[in-house]
Parts: sequence; structure tokens; C-alpha cells
Amino acid sequence: MVSRNLTIKNEEGMHMRPASQLSQMASAFECDIKINFNGGTYDCKSIMFLMSACMKCGSDIELVCDGKDEEKALEEISSFIETGMGD
Amino acid sequence: MYKGIAVSRGIGIGSVCRIVKHDLSFEPRRIEDTEAEKERFHKAIDAFVDETNAMAEDVRKRIGVKEAEILRGHAVMISDPAMSGEMDKMIDQGQCAEAALSAVCDMFIGMFSRMDDDNMRQRVSDIADVKTSILKKLLGIEEIDIKNVAPGTVLVSSDLTPSMTSQIVKENVTGILTETGGKTSHSAILARALEIPAVLSVPGIVDAVKDRDTVILDGTEGEVFVNPEGDVLSKYMLKREEFIRRQAELKNYVGKETLTADGDRVELFCNIGTPRDAKKALKCDGEGIGLFRTEFLFMDNTRLPSEDEQFEAYREAVETMAGRPVIIRTLDIGGDKDIPYLGLKKEDNPFLGFRAVRYCLGNEDICRTQLRAIIRSSAFGKVRIMVPLVTTVDEIRSIKRLVSDIKEDFVKEGIDHDTDLEVGCMIETASASLIADLLAAEADFFSIGTNDLTQYTMSVDRGNPSVAYLYSPFQPSVLRSIRYITECAHRAGIPVGMCGEAAADPLMIPLLIAFGLDEYSVNPVLVLTARSIISKWSKKEADELARRVMELSTEEEITAVLREAMKE
Repeated sequence: MVSRNLTIKNEEGMHMRPASQLSQMASAFECDIKINFNGGTYDCKSIMFLMSACMKCGSDIELVCDGKDEEKALEEISSFIETGMGD
Repeated sequence: MYKGIAVSRGIGIGSVCRIVKHDLSFEPRRIEDTEAEKERFHKAIDAFVDETNAMAEDVRKRIGVKEAEILRGHAVMISDPAMSGEMDKMIDQGQCAEAALSAVCDMFIGMFSRMDDDNMRQRVSDIADVKTSILKKLLGIEEIDIKNVAPGTVLVSSDLTPSMTSQIVKENVTGILTETGGKTSHSAILARALEIPAVLSVPGIVDAVKDRDTVILDGTEGEVFVNPEGDVLSKYMLKREEFIRRQAELKNYVGKETLTADGDRVELFCNIGTPRDAKKALKCDGEGIGLFRTEFLFMDNTRLPSEDEQFEAYREAVETMAGRPVIIRTLDIGGDKDIPYLGLKKEDNPFLGFRAVRYCLGNEDICRTQLRAIIRSSAFGKVRIMVPLVTTVDEIRSIKRLVSDIKEDFVKEGIDHDTDLEVGCMIETASASLIADLLAAEADFFSIGTNDLTQYTMSVDRGNPSVAYLYSPFQPSVLRSIRYITECAHRAGIPVGMCGEAAADPLMIPLLIAFGLDEYSVNPVLVLTARSIISKWSKKEADELARRVMELSTEEEITAVLREAMKE
């Protein structure tokens, strides 16, 4: 299992478009991908759970990947979040 | 006449096509053959996903990537294991597809509508949109074919969902009216992208019209007329032509330099309040940023923003502007702008109190942190620092001293920055105006803030309606002040700009040309309008007008003469 602490950078937070892209990106990996935020754990492969977490600009989150391709998943998803998720 | 929220400019005149809500009620049934029910359900989902993706592709080509992503999000949502997976489970337990769909969607709608986040609450309409579309498929309800309505149609609906709006073809739809939604709803964004006039949140409009009624909507004023009288109709037809002519004319100014009629170049910049606005400024053809307000970093926060946090925001704007000048104003709080966590003391006269540069110099830590962040961002483009509410020479000297201290530190720390970084004064108080010659010897540039300059020169609270008649930049005292400020700047050989609303005022522009203003900073949406007005005045004509105007003794006389001479 690998994990990394990240901060949501884009101004509007985890709204529908980034959540949609992120869930599609995560679904391409075999490993389990979860986000810990504000005391909850959210499945990164689900757009509905991502949106329901209400992550805003400046929110500190922990990205956790667990499984075969965990290293690659952690790198790619971290970089997507760090670069503002396309906003 | 009906009134609503004007969200997309222009005049729409056309024939009504009502989009009415269908009856989507159903009788929940007990399912025996759950596999067959799941197959029926997934056929509906697949058809929805295919149609939505095709629509998204069409929108991407016709409108834009971001608008298309909203629709693609709908397809992703319904395919989500948390959605369709849960629905499958319910069908396995013997529920019908309609009931399973409704239950799961309603669960998410309930969850999202309870959130204290506006952005997320708006997703309620997306989920409802998905639910309705699939329910219609399951119930076999045919939709109005929005894509193929007759040319000259005004769409009237209680609510326009993203899936409806994205089928709208600009050639056929001349206007949009709804009973819900606001400036930032999807339908508003799409209407603006397609340049279709739209008025949203018009109460009772769906019941007030029948199909094929004639309606007029004014997407600038938010007014709607149903089956108007002949004189109203002809008035608005003229207004529409005028608007279209004007828009077409303004397009001629895209990508052009800002020149007076005799070819003198001036700079036309934008006022912005967030880094994201910089993109808008570029899109609207702004040549730089004349005022980047930094209060958002402090107001949308529950604690002081760190140096890094501020730096990232400044850098984003600076990088977006790609080498064009970005004038960043240091923190301008106090007065009418309070920030709760700073614990500012309540003052009897906040506008005459501890605000803007006074506050910054009294809180050197906050000021230093912000200046460090701004100076760091200067390594990424052309940054200038602007100090608000200067009243004494000491204030600008103190800020300059801080700036040079920080630059020395940066040299030691090896932090990249622009060593020629300019520091300028906002001239917006009577005192600054009267000592403009002294300030010009210290500052690298001036920027006139006409809103505060008018308020302080006229001793008028701009929020007080009883004295609002005095609040005008066309008062002789304010005009003299502006003229004197520009003279002092030019005598000292420094450039002078203006970042108040007056910089885009068609009545004010000829005077500013006459005074020799170097830089106009306006709301991004007014860039092309300002550029076109500037292009219509030669220095000689402007000088003549200014000479006449500056001899007049009342605001009324002045505006009358200016209105007479106005060119649009």
C-alpha cells in the first residue's frame, strides 16, 4: 500500500468535471484507490462518491493506492490533482 | 411585461415553443424475471449513454470542451458502480427498473441537496436530468426535438436541463426563457457561449404563453413582453438591429491595438479579482491587467493565506498573461471590506479609518508576506506593485523600502525575481491628488481609482442614496483632480492609468484622451467597447471638447455637453 498527502488546487474544488475525469482515470487501474478526507474514506473510482465528499480548493486529502499497479496509480493521480485537474 | 434575470445579452424576438414537463409517474411492479428487467434497464442506459456521448461530441465541436464535459459527466455518473450497480441490486431483489432508478437517484439528490456547497447543490439538477432522461426511455416517452425547431423559435421552459440546452442550434433559436436558474447555471453558460439572448427565472412564464405566441426578450435588461403591441415590437426590432450591428462592429476590434483616431497608442488593460479572471481578460482581448485585486485570497479564507498560497495565485495570473503587464494591488481591506479573522476594530468612520496601505504598514508581517509573494511572482512575467489609498509621501517610501529589503533578501536567498520591479501609487484621495507632483517623484507609475477619488473628493458616501446625486466623476472638482494628476505624472515622466469604472465610460473617454491618459483598465467585457470608443476620437477633437468642458461650472452642464458630443 502506498499513500501521499495532497491539496486540492483548482478553485472550484471537486466539481463534476474533475470528478468525472478522476473516476475514469482511477478505473483504468487494477489497484484499490481511495481518498481519505475529513474523517471519511471515498472510493476514487466512483464519480458519485468523489462528488459527495465535498472537497474544496485548499482541502488536504490523503490518496491511498493498494494493489498491483499502486505505484503508477499514485504517481499519475497525484499529478492530476496537483496540476489543478484540468481547470 | 415580465422580468427575470438577464444572463445572455441581446434582443430575442420570435415564436414560442414550450417545453412542457411530461408525466413521469409509474406504477411500481413486482418483477419475477429479474434478468429480463435488468436487460431492459441496461438497454435504456446504453441508449442514454450513446446519445449523451454523441451529444457531448457535437457540443465539443460546436461550443467547447468544458461544456461537453458536463454532458460526458452524465454518462459517467449513470455508469458508476454506485449508481447502476446499486440499481441492479434493487432489480435483483424484485423491484422494477423505474423504481430502482428513482430510488437511487433520489438518494443522491437528497445527499447533494443537503450539502453546504453551492457547486455541489447544483449537481442536484444534473442527477435529476439523468434520472428524467432514463425514465423517459423506460416509459417510452418521446422528446420534443429541440435540435430541429423552426428558425425564429423562443424556447420557454420551467427549467432547461443541460441535455436540452446542448441540443440548441443557434440558427433556429433566437431566445431562451425559463422559470428557474441564474447567471451561473449551465443554461446561462451555454446561452452565452452560443450568443443566444436569454432571460432566466421569469416567474410564471410557462403558463403565460402558448405555442406560437410572439415574445420579445431583452437579455441585457431582463425584460420579457408576450404578444407585444406594434409600437413595442418595432422599438425592439430597431434595438435588436442596433445590438447586432454593434456586436459585429466590435468584432472588428479583436486583436487590434488600441489607437485613437489619429493613431496614438494607449494601453487597454483589465480589472480582475481572481487568477481565473486573467483567462477571461485574455479571452476578451485585454492587453494586460491594470488592477488585480488581492482581497479574494484573504476574504475566501478562514486564516491568513501563506506566502506560498499567495505566490501560486499571483503566478497563475502572471503566467496566464504571458509577458503582458500585471499590476497587483496590495491588500485593500477595511472600509467596506471586512475580514472576520483579522479582528478589525469597529470604526465610526471606516472609510476614513485604518484601511488599505494604512493597515498594511501597521501590520508589517502581513504586508511583508504579501510583498514577498508578489515579488516572487515577478520572475514569471511583467509584474508591477500598486499601493492603494496613498495619502502621504511617507507611505509610498515605506512600501518601497520594504520592497527593496525583500529584493536584497532574495538576492541572498537566491530567489528569482524581476530586479526592475516597478512600484506605483493609486491616486484615489484628495490628499494624493493635491501632492501628485511630490508622489510622482517617488512612484514608478500612477493609477487613478475614480470610485474612491470621487467619494473622497466630493465627501460623499457612495452607498448613501440621499447623497448619491453628488457622486459623479463628472463633478468639476473630480475632473480637475484627474487632469492635475495626469499633468504631474507626465511632468515627472511616469505613466498614468485609470482603473475605476470611469475608464470605460463613453462620456469620460474623450476627456481622458485629452488629458493624455496612458492606460485604461476596465472590466474584461468592456475591452472591445472601450477600444472602439477610443478609436473614434482624435487628440485634437478631444482637446477641443475638454477645453469647453473644463470651463463649465456644474456637473449637469458638463454631462450635457459630453452627451451631445458622445460617439458610440
